[in-house]
Amino acid sequence: MPKDSNLEAEIKELVSGVTAIPIEKLKSDVDIFAELGVDSLKAIEIVAAFERRYRVVVPEKEIPNIRTVKQIADMAAKLIK
Amino acid sequence: MDKKIVITGLSVIAPNGIGKLEFFKALKEGRSGVKSITRFDTNEFKAKLAGEVSDFKPEDFLGAKVTRDLNRTTRFLCSAAKLALEDAHLTINDENTDQIGVCTGTTLSSLWNIAEFDKEVINDGPLFTNVALFPGTVVNAASSQVSILLNIQGFNATISTGFTSSLQALKYATDLIRSGRVKAVVLGAVETLSLANFIGFYNLGFLAGIRGEEISCPFDKRRNGIILSEGAAVIIIEDEEYAKKRGANILAEIKGVASYFDAYRMGKYQPDAKGLKECMGDVLRKSHLKASDIDYINAAGNSVGEQDKLETSAIKEVFSRAAFKTPVTSIKSMIGEVFSASGMLQLASAVASITESFIPPTINYRIKDPDCDLDYVVNTSREKKVNNVLINNLGPGGNNASCIVSSYH
Repeated sequence: MPKDSNLEAEIKELVSGVTAIPIEKLKSDVDIFAELGVDSLKAIEIVAAFERRYRVVVPEKEIPNIRTVKQIADMAAKLIK
Repeated sequence: MDKKIVITGLSVIAPNGIGKLEFFKALKEGRSGVKSITRFDTNEFKAKLAGEVSDFKPEDFLGAKVTRDLNRTTRFLCSAAKLALEDAHLTINDENTDQIGVCTGTTLSSLWNIAEFDKEVINDGPLFTNVALFPGTVVNAASSQVSILLNIQGFNATISTGFTSSLQALKYATDLIRSGRVKAVVLGAVETLSLANFIGFYNLGFLAGIRGEEISCPFDKRRNGIILSEGAAVIIIEDEEYAKKRGANILAEIKGVASYFDAYRMGKYQPDAKGLKECMGDVLRKSHLKASDIDYINAAGNSVGEQDKLETSAIKEVFSRAAFKTPVTSIKSMIGEVFSASGMLQLASAVASITESFIPPTINYRIKDPDCDLDYVVNTSREKKVNNVLINNLGPGGNNASCIVSSYH
């Protein structure tokens, strides 16, 4: 299982790739939707890219809860197990 | 008295010129936009050429951020739409946004997205497909983005009738202006080159180079198929009163549009071109013009053996004595067959003729065909004061459309 800090770095790269937001702006606890202007269509793309990358399916009800890089990384850690 | 519909601006993304000025110049110079295909590998095919659009930088028109999320089709159409609105000096705001519509002719332009999306489903399974590709798989994706990016909130419609999409989109748009639904329409058309649509036309035997020389030479004896192309054109059309009230510069007038469906057999032309003849006759009547009033015919002729012959004989029957005195030209000799977008590019070229007094040439003409014996304005453009242009669109399968565009007085 990947180390937490590596996983967060991977997630930052993934989100940056989908949204074109520079990695430096993607701090662990920043709400990427409320604070960085990522819209709902991009949100779906982030989830899809995440699912592709880690070969997991994110349960529908969890999606509203993953708003920061740290929360996405925690979800990844849980699902990849 | 019917409302007059006028043209106040336009732009094109064409294989031989990007933007209105470059396109008009290319038409006058008889410049071809046909080149070796770079967008995909053609090793397996006997055909290797297309009217591919090159040197197109959408970032210059739309900005890098917006461009990033749009597919090629949408980049073409939105760039042309933005430039056309600038050409017409028409600013969209809260007051007029509901009075302006978007109408787009396109049929195959979403094929690339469909193919890429399906490839990923096959390779990675349905759960892991690339979501970002999905919105572009619908045929009205590009048209929708025009409304979204330019904040145009009147109607939005996509007309997908293949070869006649452009002129039928024109008909739809003019009907909505005439009925008072809107005052102006961002009227456009687009097609993009992709391996999927290339293979489609290739396997149907429709492309030049399979059984003969790979060249777009309408009305020439060597003609043996189309050179497939891509491109976009957007024309701003308005209710004359609205245009005058806002002080618009009027470039030309749409005198009339007609269409006729004469399906015969799958993928075959009606042997006596009944539909095209009806169209041309109908549009002359609607425009209150005689055949001898037409300064030239902007033909559908696309280097397909049977089609060029049919159009020639239809013109002779409708125009009778005037046929041999009316120049007939095909800009598809320069830009190839852009399918759903050809009609809109033809309309743009007709405006060029009217505003700059010339008839674009039918280039690549060398060998005469006794079945095609009209004046095709061969190889070099001709200076002439042009007041009325008849434009034809047709294809196998039954769709025919004609329109007349005239100088504005």
